[in-house]
Amino acid sequence: MAPRYQNRIELLQGTLDLLILQTLQWGPRHGYGISQAIRANSGEILQVDTGSLYPALHRLERQKWIAADWKLSENKQRVRVYRLTARGKKQLLSERSRWEQLSDAIAGVLSPARRGGQA
Amino acid sequence: MKFPWQRDRKQQELEQELQSHLRMAASDRMGRGESPSDAAQSARREFGNVELVQQVTSDQWGWRWLEELLQDLRYGARMLRKNPGFTFVAVLTLALGIGANTAIFSVVYTVLVKTLPYPQTDRLVMLYEDVRLPNYQNERNEPSPGNFYDWAKQSTLFANTAAYRNRSWNLSGEGEPIRVEGELVTSEFFATLQIQPTLGRVFAVEENQPGNSHVVVISDGLLQSRFGSNPQVLGQKILLDGESHTIVGVMPPGFHFPDPDDQLWVPMGMSPAELGNRGSHFLLVFARLQPGITLTRAQAELNSLAKHLTELYPATNTGQTVNIVSLQEDIAGPVRPTLLVVMAAAGLILLIVCANVANLLLGRASVRRREIAVRLALGAGQSRIAWQLLTESVLLALLGCASGLLLARWCVAGLKLLAASILPRAQEFSLNAPVLIFSLALSLFAGIVFGVGPALQATRGSVQETLKSGTRESPAGSRLRMRSLLVILETALGAVVVIGAGLLLRSFLRIEHVPLGFEPQGVLTFRVIPRGERYAQLAQRVTFYQQVLERIQAQPGVKSAAAVSFIPLTLARGSKGFTIEGHMPTAPGQIPMAGYDVVTPLYFATMHIHLLQGRDLSWSDAPQTQPVVMINEVMAKTYWPNQDPLGKHIRQGGPDDSEFPWLTITGIVADAREFDPVTAARPTMYFPVTQFADPGGILRDWAVRTNDDPRTLAANVRAAVWDVDKDLPVTRIRTMEEVRSMSVLSPRLNLLLFGLFAALALVLASVGIYGVTAYSVAQRTREIGIRIALGATRNEVARLVLRQGACLATVGVLLGLIGAFALTRLMASMIYGVSAADPLTFFTVAFLLAFVALAACYIPARRAMRVDPIIALRYE
Repeated sequence: MAPRYQNRIELLQGTLDLLILQTLQWGPRHGYGISQAIRANSGEILQVDTGSLYPALHRLERQKWIAADWKLSENKQRVRVYRLTARGKKQLLSERSRWEQLSDAIAGVLSPARRGGQA
Repeated sequence: MKFPWQRDRKQQELEQELQSHLRMAASDRMGRGESPSDAAQSARREFGNVELVQQVTSDQWGWRWLEELLQDLRYGARMLRKNPGFTFVAVLTLALGIGANTAIFSVVYTVLVKTLPYPQTDRLVMLYEDVRLPNYQNERNEPSPGNFYDWAKQSTLFANTAAYRNRSWNLSGEGEPIRVEGELVTSEFFATLQIQPTLGRVFAVEENQPGNSHVVVISDGLLQSRFGSNPQVLGQKILLDGESHTIVGVMPPGFHFPDPDDQLWVPMGMSPAELGNRGSHFLLVFARLQPGITLTRAQAELNSLAKHLTELYPATNTGQTVNIVSLQEDIAGPVRPTLLVVMAAAGLILLIVCANVANLLLGRASVRRREIAVRLALGAGQSRIAWQLLTESVLLALLGCASGLLLARWCVAGLKLLAASILPRAQEFSLNAPVLIFSLALSLFAGIVFGVGPALQATRGSVQETLKSGTRESPAGSRLRMRSLLVILETALGAVVVIGAGLLLRSFLRIEHVPLGFEPQGVLTFRVIPRGERYAQLAQRVTFYQQVLERIQAQPGVKSAAAVSFIPLTLARGSKGFTIEGHMPTAPGQIPMAGYDVVTPLYFATMHIHLLQGRDLSWSDAPQTQPVVMINEVMAKTYWPNQDPLGKHIRQGGPDDSEFPWLTITGIVADAREFDPVTAARPTMYFPVTQFADPGGILRDWAVRTNDDPRTLAANVRAAVWDVDKDLPVTRIRTMEEVRSMSVLSPRLNLLLFGLFAALALVLASVGIYGVTAYSVAQRTREIGIRIALGATRNEVARLVLRQGACLATVGVLLGLIGAFALTRLMASMIYGVSAADPLTFFTVAFLLAFVALAACYIPARRAMRVDPIIALRYE
């Protein structure tokens, strides 16, 4: 659909989707809130680029993993708040397990000794 | 999936969402102690390009393609507006191609595809006798009443069966007498069609008995024209051929069967004796199949029925089976080959048009190369640009479609008039929904066909090269190659169409010069049929003929006048079996047959049909004098080879029909073409009206020869008829020349259509050749300049250019000749007296195209000759 920007999104895709879904697991949030949460929870290491965040949010919304509503924030501003849907919860579970497999696998490759006895 | 009209709102929401992000980020920063302006600025810096984020995000919504399409359409429209000359030529060319195809398709669709306007038409079938005798074959022979009766009675697979025959009546009473066309029908006629009257009723079974049949059902058209739409018309009596008939029903508006001209339907009223007649074949029989019965099954049943009838009645039914044809096929079948050939020719024209527009697009691509290169350099994808160019060509095609439809509207109106008497259902031709859909689909197809090549071509090649090298060079070579191929294709297709037109022209000229056996110039014809009680007896009719002819002959300028059963070059004709005195009795079903006409004296003199031997008929050949007959030359040669037929005796009917008197042959006349100019004369007998008492021998057509323009006599002959009987309508007042030209309407229409196609093809081919040659001269300016600088003469330069054009034309024409050789045989049924591979036509067309091609190269050649080497070399 968007050949010109695919590369940039794909770099973070999957990972960013997982992070967004996981963040919304703790409750509905707006876009800025999500980026702040990811930043805070990663110990200021992960800084989500807005040029990736918003396309990802809108794509997840189209896939019906998250839904959005306009609400008033604490300081009476109209903000678009995202929440996890039932399908999104399922997706989060499967993405999590995939991620765990992947990170185990990468960890295994990086330090084979830890696997113990096989080498 | 969102729709474009929701797009703006969604974009606004997205903008708000991003703005709220910015505000929150700024207020967080202010909370950390930054000044408001610093906070806003750094929040924005951290955020990045808001517009870009907005665009990438909205890309996720999934209707980007639509947005791009709209963008492309807007851009395309702007480009077309900016080049009005190009747009005009391309749209005009496309309009001609698409308009022609749409108009022809509306005819093809109406005649070949559209279902007839009767309920469950697929169950309606025509029943014919299929006659295969040594001396007569006809798979659509009109059934005899006896056969109709037996088929209807004994077949089990038909829901209804009915017969009809065309008739015309003199409708008199109030107002001017008129002649109305209609049908004599059997009682199940309307039940078979399953059509109800809007007023009153249709015929009851007992009204089909002789004596009860003085009732009539009229058309809505007649109700309006003659009775002022008065619904009180039911029960009213009208005079048909002087006999009173009661109107019992009115059919719905638009209803007609079988003929659009039919205005009334009258019961046939056949007596049991008439229904037993197996010797005369004059009915048309149709039936409605029971639900679920196939044609094959019905055909099988009728075959065994026919076999049985042949055993029962060997004298009349030998060599005879039944042919069952669906009504739709009965109407479409005879014209299908011609219509498909014309449709194919129109299709070739559209291909030529596509090649031409593709050529124009390629020509323009060289102008747009920089524009495209700049867009590529700015990051547009190649496929994106190709799509954009394709959108542009589809837009062109749609514009062509819109203007083509305007053109098609006129063409359809014209075809309706021209084809009214030669194609069935002409009154139904229109630009209806299926035709419009066809036209639209065809335009999209055309847009893609002519757009794909140039679009791919334009996006090939490297950006740097184009931008660096100014405006010329590089893919120009491959572009020229593509354009040359297109021109060859165009010329080849054009050659096929022009050869088709050439064959039709040759054939038409042949038809125009066929010796007809009579001279149509200077003859006025009209129709007056003396029917009704006043003319029940032969003597009454003869008196009428004589009185009218005397009055006409007394008019100034009239050389002679006569009446005949049917004038030549009309399709209604009868034939009769006859027996030659002294010949052996013939095998069943093999009695000799001959066409016949009943004539007054001076008929041959009036038509200028030469009397070869013997004498003309005379008013003194009376019922009580010796019965006589005249025959034509082919009859004399067929039945009395190497003998003198004069004085020989023949009589009507078979060897056993002794109720007919022996007739003495008193004269032999030259053969005259009867049906149309291309059908050779059959053996024909001419009976003197004075001795022909059978009411079937009533004279209908009249002919008057004059020294002046025959049209000037029209008022006088009408007055002469009304002087004798003012209740008889005088119709079909035409010169014999008009009758002749109507008999060749069909080849004339074919020629007209092909002629237009051919003219279009020639123009397009020459435009194509001109365009390519001019393009190549422009590309080669520098080369030509060098040649001239190195001492080439202007003539050599011109020859260089002409050679290129001639090369394209030669290859194109050769391919065209091969194509035409393969294709023109499909036209076999449309041409007369010329072979489908007529060498003269092929050669002439080849030379014509070669000439056109060279003429098209003339201007570019002149331009090449005028190239100034100094300017050409400085130019780069």
